Amino acid sequence: MAIIVELPRLTDTMEEGVIAQWHIAEGDKVKRGQVIADIETDKATMEFESFDAGYVLKLVASEGDTLGLGAPIAVLGKKDEDVGDLLTALANRAAGGAEAEAQEPAKEDAATSTESAVPVEAEATPAAPAEAPAAQTLDNGRIPASPLARRLAREAGLELSQIEGSGPHGRIIKADVDRAVAEGVKPKSADTPKVATASSEVDEHGRPYATHEDTTVKLSQMRKTIVKRMGQSKREAPHIYLTMPIRMDEAAAARKQLNAALAEQGVKVSFNDFIIKAAAKALRVHPRVNAHYTPDGIIEYGNAHVGMAVALDDGLVVPVVRYADQKTLKAIASETRSLGTRARDRKLAPAEMSGSTFTVTNLGMFGIEEFMAVVNPGEGGILAVGAIKDEVVVEDGQMVIRKMMRVTLCSDHRVFDGADNAKFLVTLKGLLEQPMGLFV
Amino acid sequence: MNDFNPMPPELVETPEEFAGQFADRDQTLQAYREMLRIRRFEESAARAYTRGKISGFLHLYIGQEAIAVATAQALEEGDRVVSAYRTHGFALALGSDPNACMSELYGRKDGLVGGIGGSMHFFDRDKGLWGGYAIVGNHIPVATGHAFASKYKGDGRVTVCFMGDGAVGIGPVHEGMTLAGLWKLPIVFVVENNRYSMGTPLERTLPVEDITQRAAGYGMKRDRFRVTSVHETHRRLKAAVDHARKENQPTLIEMITYRFRGHSMSDPAKYRQKDEVNAWRQQDPLERTGRALQQVHNMSEEDLEALDDEIVAEMRAAAEFADASPEPDPEARFANIIV
Amino acid sequence: MPNLQIRQAIRDAMAEEMARDENVFLLGEEVGHYNGAYKASEGLLERFGAKRVIDTPIVETGFAGVGIGAAMCGLRPIVEFMTFNFSAVAFDQILNNASKIRHMTNGQFGVPIVFRGPNAAAHMLGSTHSQAFDPFYAHIPGLKVVAVATPYDAKGLLKSAIRDDNPVVFLESELMYSVRGEVPEEEYVIPIGKADIKRPGKDVTVLTWGQGVPTALEAAEMATRHDIDAEVIDLRTLRPLDNECILESVKKTNRCALIYHGWPYGGVGAELIARIQELAFDHLDAPVLRECYEDVPMPYAENLEHLVIPSAERGLAAILKVCYKA
Repeated sequence: MAIIVELPRLTDTMEEGVIAQWHIAEGDKVKRGQVIADIETDKATMEFESFDAGYVLKLVASEGDTLGLGAPIAVLGKKDEDVGDLLTALANRAAGGAEAEAQEPAKEDAATSTESAVPVEAEATPAAPAEAPAAQTLDNGRIPASPLARRLAREAGLELSQIEGSGPHGRIIKADVDRAVAEGVKPKSADTPKVATASSEVDEHGRPYATHEDTTVKLSQMRKTIVKRMGQSKREAPHIYLTMPIRMDEAAAARKQLNAALAEQGVKVSFNDFIIKAAAKALRVHPRVNAHYTPDGIIEYGNAHVGMAVALDDGLVVPVVRYADQKTLKAIASETRSLGTRARDRKLAPAEMSGSTFTVTNLGMFGIEEFMAVVNPGEGGILAVGAIKDEVVVEDGQMVIRKMMRVTLCSDHRVFDGADNAKFLVTLKGLLEQPMGLFV
Repeated sequence: MNDFNPMPPELVETPEEFAGQFADRDQTLQAYREMLRIRRFEESAARAYTRGKISGFLHLYIGQEAIAVATAQALEEGDRVVSAYRTHGFALALGSDPNACMSELYGRKDGLVGGIGGSMHFFDRDKGLWGGYAIVGNHIPVATGHAFASKYKGDGRVTVCFMGDGAVGIGPVHEGMTLAGLWKLPIVFVVENNRYSMGTPLERTLPVEDITQRAAGYGMKRDRFRVTSVHETHRRLKAAVDHARKENQPTLIEMITYRFRGHSMSDPAKYRQKDEVNAWRQQDPLERTGRALQQVHNMSEEDLEALDDEIVAEMRAAAEFADASPEPDPEARFANIIV
Repeated sequence: MPNLQIRQAIRDAMAEEMARDENVFLLGEEVGHYNGAYKASEGLLERFGAKRVIDTPIVETGFAGVGIGAAMCGLRPIVEFMTFNFSAVAFDQILNNASKIRHMTNGQFGVPIVFRGPNAAAHMLGSTHSQAFDPFYAHIPGLKVVAVATPYDAKGLLKSAIRDDNPVVFLESELMYSVRGEVPEEEYVIPIGKADIKRPGKDVTVLTWGQGVPTALEAAEMATRHDIDAEVIDLRTLRPLDNECILESVKKTNRCALIYHGWPYGGVGAELIARIQELAFDHLDAPVLRECYEDVPMPYAENLEHLVIPSAERGLAAILKVCYKA
């Protein structure tokens, strides 16, 4: 008896997924627990391990297809089992939804028509349009590649869809695979170089401006999630923003000493690691900040799990440093480095991206001095960290140069108030300006 | 179309002349036996063909046997016979094993050429049978090459090359004969004129009825005669063979004969009139030789029937042998292509 | 080392083999008193006499067949076609007799014979005298087919062909009889069935033979200016093909172009491409291309003839195209 493999729910927030890559082909034998596909979810591209064993009789979904949860993606069964009827049924089911909508007005027309045969014919032909999409899928699956490139890609474990072809008609050739192997696979960029054309508008000399076509970039699963969650947060949570300048000279000195000591172990602690640790400790001091709103009441978290926003090419993810208050700076440094690397490679497990109680976001590397962020749903605050820079400050009536950093705690006013926000920042400031507290 | 007479010229011979052709009892009996062996072999093959044991082309020699038998008698050890696709008679006359000949027709491993050649490609080197060619006329240059080799080596061998009256118009015949005459090679060309180029009578294929007139153009001697007995055929052929052997001079001989069957097994021979065939049958050399054995040498009909029974049994045994012979090994198809 | 023309290398090969084996003789039009239409048999009549250097009338079927018949008797004829265009009238002898006799006689007879002469277009000889016969003969089981492009190869391979117990079609080139090259004085033979890498390279395999060889080598030199290092393989034997050499090179370079003199349709080039795609499919990074005669009968006019025959420039274009640089 054939088994229909359905698109699995691989993260707790996943509502739809994309077949990023099949690891099986029709005719293959699949074992339970075997990775059969990579599925792009709202959070990451994840491996899908089969629950069932059997021969792959049909790959219903193609790479690149966006599907709802539970959508049939493959059929497993006995070797050479005839699943023609099952596939027809699946095709009809897939076509059924669209068809039902399309037929609504038709039925209305029929109702006003004197020709009673019309609706009968309409009912008699649902199978015909159902077959068309299947054929298209097959045709679309072919990627031009030289036989050698196909073999090399296969041997390197690369999917042709991930490789840009430089040969005639976009044919993938050996050089393209070699490049992909050497440089790592990058998703095919959707935007082709834009061609400029002359605008009808002209400058003061009468020369037309170069004009470029607008392009529509398809929403990735990640972007859809950002759209949804940030929108929800900004709509529902009244944000307040308080900014605190922090003198980082002592922290810088401590970091320098620490890194010198850890150099042999290959660990390098960043300022952000100091901030994560300090924030976690401050959260333990101010539990009201480590909380989030529900209509049933404010939930104050028992633990300080600090999310760390990592920017990607086309979005961001927030891996979590759990129990950050209890971890040494060295441990945090190792962890954030690993999380950051794997986040950019899209190799994070969903568990590593869930459960944060507070978030730190840092744009200092861009020279941003201070900024305001949006609180992640499920949390009460997000700490927006700016750049550290030398500034002239007045101390004891003297102008001195200090390494100054500004942090802004962006918080959900429903959960706590401005004073709570300020108290947290004061604690944080103390922990960073006299960083010995971070080592105990 | 020429106005050639399809009927055999009347055979004018006195009883003494008839008896003269068959004077030697042993020779006559030997000739009769050999001709009968060929005829019975061919009939046995025809029967096997109708039973589906033999397929493809099967060209029977029935009616022309005297020529093969006379040829075998005229040649010496090492001489060569090259023929076209009506070759069974030459093989048997030269001493090829009927079992091997029949097995070849059956396409079996024990065939003369291992079941690779079939009816049209009989070769038996040890017996002096050098083919077995089925593209009309293309063996004439090859046979000329054999004669060339004999002259080159000075080995004293003679090649006798047979062709049908239907072959004489084709190019290779002209080219081969040109070279044989030019280079004075030890070869005898024999046209077995059985009056039909497949289904077309020679009045519609030959510009001149006497084929040997062409010999003048090649600088060859020529001879032309009716085949009425092994004895007479042998005598005339032997003269040409000797001439070739001793003088390195080629000869073109036309032997007028008749086949009583169609061109091949699939040919119903509807292009011939019954009385025409019957008229030729009256002069069948085999028939005449049998008559001579009875009339001149006082053999009884029973004696001849006993001989016939013996030969029929031999050829039936050949068919049984062939039927029992294994098919060629699958690997045989790759053999003898390139060495 | 003596520097000989191809015609001299061919003559020397025949002379050496005739001296070595008295069953070897030469047969053809104008081979004796005329010393060969292209002087490939110069001096042989004088040296070996009329018995072994035999002028024939213009009867290709006749003397081809005589050669075959003589070979069946143990002689080793060398049959010269004044050009292979004339072999067409002897085609039946080669197709139905030379190549078949060993097979259809179940090995009772062999045909150790060489058919040799110039092949493919020379210069402005028109459609009937400019044809490449490689594919006609390479198509036939039971034959070996050799095509030579250097004096060294011509001598070594012709000696092998004469000693071979099979019928060998030996293709020369009228245009190349004067090509010079070093030929060792000492005895040597080159085995039939072995290709020769005339120019080693790593970026693309160029397969060629016969008259195509100089064109291919020139094209390969031009390709260096495009940063392409082409490997030029002279097949030398068209049947049997040296699969090993061809495949080893293609697997190394992943690309292959063919440059040869002959029509494209169903020829040796097509056979090569069929083999490469079958045996090296997963090694190909580009389609295999060929540059050869245009698919037309050869016109007489010089400009038209130049258009039909592959030039080094056209060869280069094919090389660039398979390297995706065109």
